[in-house]
Amino acid sequence: MYKCYLSEGSFAEKDVVDLNAIVDRLNIARADLYRLPLPVIIEFLSKLGKRIILDGSKFQKEGISYIGMWLRKQNLEEICRINYTNLDITDQYVEIKPHVQMMAQPRGIICHWIAANIPSLGIFSLVLGLLSKNASLVKIPPENVDLVCWILKKLQDISVTWDAAEYSGNILVKTIALVSFPGKDVGLSSAFSSVADCRIIYGGGEAIASISRIPTRETCETIIYGPKYSFGIFDQDFIESKDMEQAVSRCVSDVVTFNQMACSSPHVYFFEKSKKSLREIGEMFAAAFAGVPDALLHQETPTAIIAGIINKRAYYLLSQEKDAIFPQHAGWTILLDRTVSLEEPVFGKTVFLKEVESLDPVAACVTRKVQAITLCITDEEKRRTYAKQLAYNGADRIVLPGTSNEYDQPWDGILSLSRMVRWTIIKENKRSKSC
Amino acid sequence: MQKEKEEILLPLLIREIQHAIENSAVIRRYFEKQQFHPEDIQSVADVLFMPVQMFKYFDLKTCPQEDVVKTLKSSGTTTSVQSRVPLDKATVMNQIKALQTILASYLGSKRRIFLVIDHEGINNPALEFTARTAGVRGLSIYAKQTFYLLKEEPDGNLVLNLPVIREIQEKYADQEVYVFGFTYIIWTVFYQQMKEASFTLKLRNPTVFHSGGWKKLKSQSVSKEYFNAQIGELLGCDTEHILDFYGMAEQTGIIFPDCPYGNKHVPVFADVIIRDPYTLQECKTLETGMIEVMSVLSTSYYCQAILTEDTGYIVGIDDCPCGRKGKYFRFASRIEKAELRGCGDTFKEKKNV
Repeated sequence: MYKCYLSEGSFAEKDVVDLNAIVDRLNIARADLYRLPLPVIIEFLSKLGKRIILDGSKFQKEGISYIGMWLRKQNLEEICRINYTNLDITDQYVEIKPHVQMMAQPRGIICHWIAANIPSLGIFSLVLGLLSKNASLVKIPPENVDLVCWILKKLQDISVTWDAAEYSGNILVKTIALVSFPGKDVGLSSAFSSVADCRIIYGGGEAIASISRIPTRETCETIIYGPKYSFGIFDQDFIESKDMEQAVSRCVSDVVTFNQMACSSPHVYFFEKSKKSLREIGEMFAAAFAGVPDALLHQETPTAIIAGIINKRAYYLLSQEKDAIFPQHAGWTILLDRTVSLEEPVFGKTVFLKEVESLDPVAACVTRKVQAITLCITDEEKRRTYAKQLAYNGADRIVLPGTSNEYDQPWDGILSLSRMVRWTIIKENKRSKSC
Repeated sequence: MQKEKEEILLPLLIREIQHAIENSAVIRRYFEKQQFHPEDIQSVADVLFMPVQMFKYFDLKTCPQEDVVKTLKSSGTTTSVQSRVPLDKATVMNQIKALQTILASYLGSKRRIFLVIDHEGINNPALEFTARTAGVRGLSIYAKQTFYLLKEEPDGNLVLNLPVIREIQEKYADQEVYVFGFTYIIWTVFYQQMKEASFTLKLRNPTVFHSGGWKKLKSQSVSKEYFNAQIGELLGCDTEHILDFYGMAEQTGIIFPDCPYGNKHVPVFADVIIRDPYTLQECKTLETGMIEVMSVLSTSYYCQAILTEDTGYIVGIDDCPCGRKGKYFRFASRIEKAELRGCGDTFKEKKNV
């Protein structure tokens, strides 16, 4: 049985045996969404962003203020432009070459498998669904339902006037259904997958492998956001520059955001040998951690993760060539050594700081599982050349301190919106046009 | 009383830690990096703990190598890496005396027939020293004769050792007997096979020690009460004679059996601190945290404060109805591996340079 938290614009929680009725209503609702011009959808979402910023203190830890910022009109238009090239292309045919025009058609119903590690993930995914004019059937982690429903209720209350017509936010909300069910239940998972015209799967390795195996329609597109790893690299010039202190502070902000549980959360920073000792750099990180607001610093961390932190601290203290800096509590941990390796994440705001003789061996660590690399190289030409190497080896995003968790497009190497639509063309009769 | 015990224990702990720092570069490093001086210790909770996993990765020996008479090796449940616990003669003697003292509190001073619900190979010195081995060897100090009630088949399966079981019933049913076995082996092998064969062992109210956790039994919905009732009936003992005990190879010599009120008592030569997993500070009574076991038994390795990966809580101090003084606590659970979900889960595809 599915637990349904939202369907047909109603937030009443209920048990559902069969998804067909929900799917039928989503198909009706998405026809209304299809008729909305993209700028209207963007207007709804940017209004939502403003309301979230004004009233989001309840969900500060969940990164609510970032959602508000991300929903800025300019950002949403940028996301659409990067994916669609032309902002009109979801509303009408657009000429791509003489006598050929192209239009992006929504795929239909997107089934989202939302992971639990980032509370706001469901919202980001839903917004992409709306920007591609698809209906969304979302498998949401029950612990994140409150946040997502709180935001969607706000959307429902918004109205937008466009070309003298007034539209209600309910048009958008009606295209969304939120459900939860045990992922291990093969029957429920199969039925969920079978109604998808597009599947978006977020999760760890095991979840991705098992969901990917669930049969689906031949025409269904599957977009996978699997497990990824992020880290940072600093060259000597940057370390010795005046920018270093602020960069460290921003790196700590990257680590703390989402309680270091996101694929974009850095776990390791490499430092080219410089005038600053590794210990000094470690102390800079320690000072930055100490300045993090308590609400962000002291987040719920499973005891098993803390046991791992305690073990790692002791291991580094007992080892000759390693060191550790940490407070009395388990809130954050800095581990210092000189091994060139992407360490297994410990989580709980644990960062490995590593001094390296040169940056070349670091690039060789990069695999296709690497997502964001915070790259601090002062010389721009050198930075671009090195970035190309990192990207060739597998990295998806080369970012600046403080921007590792910015939900960019492309993400994980994927332009998601462009895969959530079908690219259709119309050819014109050349003679009739010339006449 | 706990307060008086701490007054005696604290200087001993400080002296032993100073000895450890002087004799082990590894321990010295551990203290120096934390800028921690033993003379700053004001209470037992101040002592720097060593996570139990470190016995797998470091030689925590605090005596000259030539003094080591035995190294205990035990496999953990989470990894295949073995813990190594080096013992010198003095430590071995201290551990035996400690265990004798603890067991005397539950068995009296007389030697008895010892029944082991396991196979004889578990005590083979040539084979790996497991927690099961530690239990058998530790408890055997009160044995005047030892019998193994199970045997191992060539395929590794454990089955009833019927000739031995019959011999016990015929010759020793009226003698004073004590029994030891691992909880899940007692239940899933001994109890199940005895039941299938419709056997019972009617003994003279034996004391049954068992250890090893309840996870496997809980998954079969077997409660502690049900386990005690069934095993009591099978072996002919009162349920208060069935004693679940907590212990570990890294603190050999110290076991914490249940008293008749279900509490685990801390002996005089040891202490238990429950630490909040996040603040790492000492928990208040009844607050669940990580169990840290302290002891003054060893001169050969850092046993003074070992932080386990188990959780429990202090029930009270000096006032258990059973009459034993000092702290008493209960085991809550093992810390299971974290189940990480989402895109940030572990990085398995690693390239080392």
